[in-house]
Amino acid sequence: MSTIRRALLALMLVAASAFLVAACGDDDNGGSTTGGGSTGAATDAATEGGQAGGTLTGYYTSSPDYMDPALTYTVEGWNAQWVVYTPLLTYRHTEGAEGAELIPGLAEDLPEISEDGLTYKLKLRDGLKFSDGTPVKASDFEHTIKRVLNLESGGSAFYLPIVGAEDYLKAGKPNADIEGIETNDETGEITIHLSERIGSFDYVLAMNFAGIVPGDTPFRNMTRNPPPGVGPYKITRSVPNRGFTLEKVPEFADYGIQDVPTGNVDKIDITIVKNQQRQTDDVINNKVDYLIDPPPADRLREVQDKAEGRFEPYVTNSTYYVFMNTREKPFDDERVRQAVNFAIDKRAMQRIFGGLLAPSCNFLPPGMKGYQKIEPCPYGDPTQEPDLEKARQLIQEAGAEGAEVTVWGNDEDPSKPVTEYVADVMNQIGLNAKPRIVEASVYFQTIGNQKTKAQAGFANWFQDFPHPANFMFLINGASIQETNNQNFGNVDDPEINDLIDGADKNTDLDAAAADYAEADRLAVERAYIAPYGNRQLTKLVSDRVAWDSVVAHPVYEVDFSLLQLK
Amino acid sequence: MASTDSAATDFSDDLPAAIAAEERHAPAGTGPWRIALRRLRRNKVALAFGVLFLLLVAVSLAAPIWANEVAHTTPYQNRIADTITIDGEERNIVAFDGVPIGPTWHGEYFLGADRNGRDVMVRLLYGGRNSLLIGIGASIITMVFATLLGLLSGFFGGWLDWIISRCFDVMWAFPVILLGVALGVSLNISGITIGPLSLKSGSLWIPTVIIGIAYVVYLARPIRGQVLALREKEFVEAARAQGMGPWRIMLTELLPNLASTLLVFFPLIVANAILLEAALSFLGAGVQPPEPSWGLMISEGIEFLTSAPHLTIAPGIMLVLTVLALNIFGEGVRDALDPRAKIRLEH
Repeated sequence: MSTIRRALLALMLVAASAFLVAACGDDDNGGSTTGGGSTGAATDAATEGGQAGGTLTGYYTSSPDYMDPALTYTVEGWNAQWVVYTPLLTYRHTEGAEGAELIPGLAEDLPEISEDGLTYKLKLRDGLKFSDGTPVKASDFEHTIKRVLNLESGGSAFYLPIVGAEDYLKAGKPNADIEGIETNDETGEITIHLSERIGSFDYVLAMNFAGIVPGDTPFRNMTRNPPPGVGPYKITRSVPNRGFTLEKVPEFADYGIQDVPTGNVDKIDITIVKNQQRQTDDVINNKVDYLIDPPPADRLREVQDKAEGRFEPYVTNSTYYVFMNTREKPFDDERVRQAVNFAIDKRAMQRIFGGLLAPSCNFLPPGMKGYQKIEPCPYGDPTQEPDLEKARQLIQEAGAEGAEVTVWGNDEDPSKPVTEYVADVMNQIGLNAKPRIVEASVYFQTIGNQKTKAQAGFANWFQDFPHPANFMFLINGASIQETNNQNFGNVDDPEINDLIDGADKNTDLDAAAADYAEADRLAVERAYIAPYGNRQLTKLVSDRVAWDSVVAHPVYEVDFSLLQLK
Repeated sequence: MASTDSAATDFSDDLPAAIAAEERHAPAGTGPWRIALRRLRRNKVALAFGVLFLLLVAVSLAAPIWANEVAHTTPYQNRIADTITIDGEERNIVAFDGVPIGPTWHGEYFLGADRNGRDVMVRLLYGGRNSLLIGIGASIITMVFATLLGLLSGFFGGWLDWIISRCFDVMWAFPVILLGVALGVSLNISGITIGPLSLKSGSLWIPTVIIGIAYVVYLARPIRGQVLALREKEFVEAARAQGMGPWRIMLTELLPNLASTLLVFFPLIVANAILLEAALSFLGAGVQPPEPSWGLMISEGIEFLTSAPHLTIAPGIMLVLTVLALNIFGEGVRDALDPRAKIRLEH
């Protein structure tokens, strides 16, 4: 190789940096979904300055994993398909905690739940038709759940508590019956029997996986030819990694489903553009109307200036925390865990997240029912300087000075800088910590394997559905597993377990909320985890979009069915 | 009377007229190494880049002095939420939106901070130490194994040559970067223990060994070729006739004849090793955090290419300068030791 070629290779490495910053997307949501905090409210009525009709354009950084409701399990997929496949139950189309409220979707009413909490009865609305004109039948619901199970969807575990679901899965016969689902096509009645009491099962019925599809939909991934659904929009184009098009279904308005918007714009065209710099430029310059991902960290300042009045961060139902393995030294000692909580500077974390993190003391996010702000925070005000002296003192009291700690993290942003920061903080308080960064695709399997004996590390969780059970299982002793463990710290406190188990069985979330709040408080006080904040995402649209119509739903992000052009 | 003709110099058999004339006019008693040194001294460009490389080495070795006496920090210390006073003005080391401070041109944060509030200048110098350590360490590993395998393969021939050559073929089939990434990622998760040799995950020895092994085939093949030619020479026949065993012939007769080749290759391999280390670290398979390395620093800086370009530019410049210096100096050494090679390249 000549000198010039070798020198050019070195230069290319630097140039590759420039290229990669432009080409790489920022995705730290781990494939799960996000929710939103309260920044306002919206309705499906015409908003100020907005009008129905027109074509809205948008960019996604990543293609939806599937354009099939049985399979999709990413923010992108759910954002696109919520307005296409309405489940029996759905959520109110507003922001904040109100948006987490369950309302009837294709069912006439919320489910009638038996006293033992094992039987759910629903009735399908009359006269519903899929977007291709096929009438909707009650048995389509069973077929929908069969597809989720049979296709081994990421969401299949949510439906396994249905009686006979595991047998159906084991039998491997797609058209076999699921014993626990009874349907009557004549009356539209649907009865679901559960093998165990699950307080959050009505939220499971509202998940995108349960978006009803016709009974003859094949048992295969339908991404290239998505099945019809019942919703304000239908998918008219789906090209993986290129984009998709949604078109309004005018007939949906005839069903008169209360609180479910009928859509405003005629057409929504989404293109996959990996280059987030280009995305940002195009929305600032009004060449495109909507972005799902926040602008790159180093453009935020510019976006705030140039897109004033059409840019706003909002808090998601997510928690970022440091797990500490209670089975491994030195974190088997509560004082060491408390020391880490005292030492972490949440203001520093906020800056690592480019400002898009709301510092927090709680494990439950603020938009979640059951959230009660822990005040005063036992480790000091999250917005103030940390108490390093107190932390060092606790480490000394525990006799843990110089204890070797490996802090685990993955190579995706912001996990890597967070992990390096946490390791440095641990060193500052007297531990002997080193970060260990592994590839993101194997990270959670690695730390979730008990053989790894991961001592501490980066963890986060974005809600699947807006129910505290979907967060609290992460610190419930009952969820500890040998492999694929998500209770990374092996938290197993009998008092916390009892509170969570009791609350999980309660079908009345309002009544269970206090127990979740208590479990949250105990977990923080006993320092089983070190939560430091809730992720913020952003709403960013072009000047063409009526700002009041931009509603960030706590589960499905910006609601396509409410968006209006000026 | 000593002669400086081509036969005596060992590495200038069918030289072009100009170079052959130069050697003929060398003073009596001038050895081939001295001639080579004289040629190198005359190559001012190569010498200048050699000096530049030594300067970069010296600067990198001085990292602790800069860190302790000037910057008053370590390459690992995170100061994200702290402030510093520059010319009487208090400034955030990392702004609220996460953008780190740029070059202050003062002792502290001379080249600015990274997103974790670490001093870029200090990390740059320590990163240089790591890059050079890995580059030179890996090259030594390459030289040792390539020489050993090339000698065995070329000298003994037969089934041993066949096995070693097929192993080379297999290694050659893997792109170096792919091999490096695959080994780097897996070894960095849990380290490796083979007999008494134990490499802990995150150790600098992991990229050193990986890079060292990855380049063995690139050097072993030309050495094997040279040994194949040398073993037919009269002086080897003479050694055999004197009753020398194969190991002694390799050590005393062949190895000295390979010295110029090894010397020519060494700086070039160091340059390639540093480049590969940077590439692997950029991809997360080389030097592991919190240890700094130029490749890792470039990778960490790409998020802030527009708002904090110093994060990428500073390690990029150091990397380019080091590789350029080594390559130009290396080619100067090659021209001095083996002028025919240059002629072949130019043609």
